[in-house]
Amino acid sequence: MMRTLRRILIIVAVIVVVFPYSWVVISSIKSQAALSDPSRLIFRPTLVNWEAVIDGGILGSAATSIVVGVVTVVIALLAGTLAAYSISKWRTGGDQTRFTVLLSEMMPPAVLVIPLFYLALNAGVRDTLAAVIPAHLTFVVPVVTWFMIGFFDAVPDELEEQARVDGYGRVQAFFKVVLPQVYPGLGAAAIFAFILSWNDLFYALILAGGNTRTLPVAIASFNTFRGVELGTMSAAILISVVPVVIASFFVQRRLIQGLSGGGVKG
Amino acid sequence: MAGLRLEQLTKRYGSKDVVASIDLDIEEGQFTVLVGPSGCGKTTSLRMIAGLVEPTSGRIIIGDRDVTDLEPKDRDIAMVFQNYALYPHLSVRDNISFGLRARKKDKAEIAERVAYAADLLNVEELLDRKPGELSGGQQQRVAIGRAIVREPSVFLFDEPLSNLDAKLRVEMRTELLRLQRALGTTVVYVTHDQEEAMALADELVVMNAGTIQQRGGPQEIYDHPANTFVATFIGSPAMNLVDGSVDDGTYSGGGLRLADVDAVAGPVTLGVRPEHIHPVGDLTDEEATEPFTALVDVIEPLGATAVLSLRIDDRTLRAVVDSRWLTGLAEETTSEFVFDRSRLRFFPR
Ligand SMILES: Nc1ncnc2c1ncn2[C@@H]1O[C@H](COP(=O)(O)OP(=O)(O)OP(=O)(O)O)[C@@H](O)[C@H]1O
Ligand SMILES: [Mg+2]
Repeated sequence: MMRTLRRILIIVAVIVVVFPYSWVVISSIKSQAALSDPSRLIFRPTLVNWEAVIDGGILGSAATSIVVGVVTVVIALLAGTLAAYSISKWRTGGDQTRFTVLLSEMMPPAVLVIPLFYLALNAGVRDTLAAVIPAHLTFVVPVVTWFMIGFFDAVPDELEEQARVDGYGRVQAFFKVVLPQVYPGLGAAAIFAFILSWNDLFYALILAGGNTRTLPVAIASFNTFRGVELGTMSAAILISVVPVVIASFFVQRRLIQGLSGGGVKG
Repeated sequence: MAGLRLEQLTKRYGSKDVVASIDLDIEEGQFTVLVGPSGCGKTTSLRMIAGLVEPTSGRIIIGDRDVTDLEPKDRDIAMVFQNYALYPHLSVRDNISFGLRARKKDKAEIAERVAYAADLLNVEELLDRKPGELSGGQQQRVAIGRAIVREPSVFLFDEPLSNLDAKLRVEMRTELLRLQRALGTTVVYVTHDQEEAMALADELVVMNAGTIQQRGGPQEIYDHPANTFVATFIGSPAMNLVDGSVDDGTYSGGGLRLADVDAVAGPVTLGVRPEHIHPVGDLTDEEATEPFTALVDVIEPLGATAVLSLRIDDRTLRAVVDSRWLTGLAEETTSEFVFDRSRLRFFPR
């Protein structure tokens, strides 16, 4: 009984997830004419949408997104890991800090975007990546911190103490002994942080929507005054979504562990 | 190798002195065991010696160096934790050699010392495994190996055997003792298990509530406990305590009357170990006190001996008697017993 129910649930879940993806894949290889009749299942596949989207400079936008993502991840990992260590092991800021780090996630981006916009304007970096990256850090650093706290919690204090007795100072003990224990978490956090940055439309659109476009901004621009170019948009969406799906697949277990604050043991 | 001295060592958490001004002088090469009930400050003391907890006040001297303000790495100590604290990401070999590599010893020397320790502890076959692939006993050996190769002045052990099963615990205990005798290194060992403490200690330090209650050889402490806390904490079954008073050389209390006792007059607590209660006839009149009658409540045979629960009035005394006396005893019947006169202890109240 339970098993049948579970099977049905899984099948439903699979359909819910797979159906939109298949729809997008099919749309990306349909001609404009075929797209106008969604019920048509028999059609001649075409690559015009893919050609159009690539000619339209989507790869350049993807590269921009990668640069933003990588720089954001590197900074967020450095800051977030050290913060998480300090919160986990030294109870920095008291026992509540671990929860309050997430408070900033609840702030609507609209609240932050105006000050960030003025900052970028005054610093003369509007419409450049130097405006987008700090904006991304505002929501990526807290998540990475939250994520890593759980992993540091799982490292016994004695390990670090043993290293200190064995001949290392605090800093070396951290790098030689504590950090290696959280490498899996660090890897998952990096991918998760990258996806968060990769998916952001709001900040990227407002702070750098002109000449410097990230991938989501480029995709949004397919919604033109002539109407939605569904075919090309589908192709672009796939370019943006596939890396996320692949990455999530490889880190899913660590991801769950990290997001639950280390509550689920891997 | 070196001795160790603690001078008025104190650790205060909040307003509570978890370790309250302890003085301790540990001779070079001795196996010293800190023993006491849970929460009495044993671990805190040990961690202060290691440098992992900063004392509120007091000094720690290792050899002739005052190490109070030194980092753990500069104290020339090695420590074995209760959970072994093996580095999960390193092989057994790299775990054992970790401290030597941290101190930049040369490769040949490291290899030699690791081989020596691995041989001593019988872990040669395990050198290339990860800690996660070892049993508890094997992890324990590796942790000890990692301490040994360092050749420190002092070994610190915090309940290193308590995660092992009972049989292995006794085996490792013997092995630890053999190892310490072979190396001759000063050891400070913490446990809450009084039997383990007795078995291992050259010098026993009994602690309670952050203070040292008594220190001395294990037999000396067993025979001459300084107070009722030590009397009941060391030894199993625990020493029987009966409140009473001494007047004119006669003890009376708890339904007992004992003439010609060696105690000063006033309120006292009589202490008698279970094995010093005998059935009448087991001792000569010289050795024995005057007999008393008790109800045999429960008999627990242990093979060579048996534990008896004896009731006098509403008080229970525990006795350990040779099992040859069991034929003459039955539960729920009364019988006559005596104390071994020379073994009675009187604690002033
Ligand atoms: N960091 C700390 N902050 C506050 N109190 C502490 C801290 N560490 C230890 N204590 C308290 O100090 C007391 C002694 O602790 P300690 O760990 O030394 O006991 P122990 O003798 O080793 O006991 P056990 O046999 O249970 O290991 C305990 O009451 C404990 O709660
Ligand atoms: Mg302890």
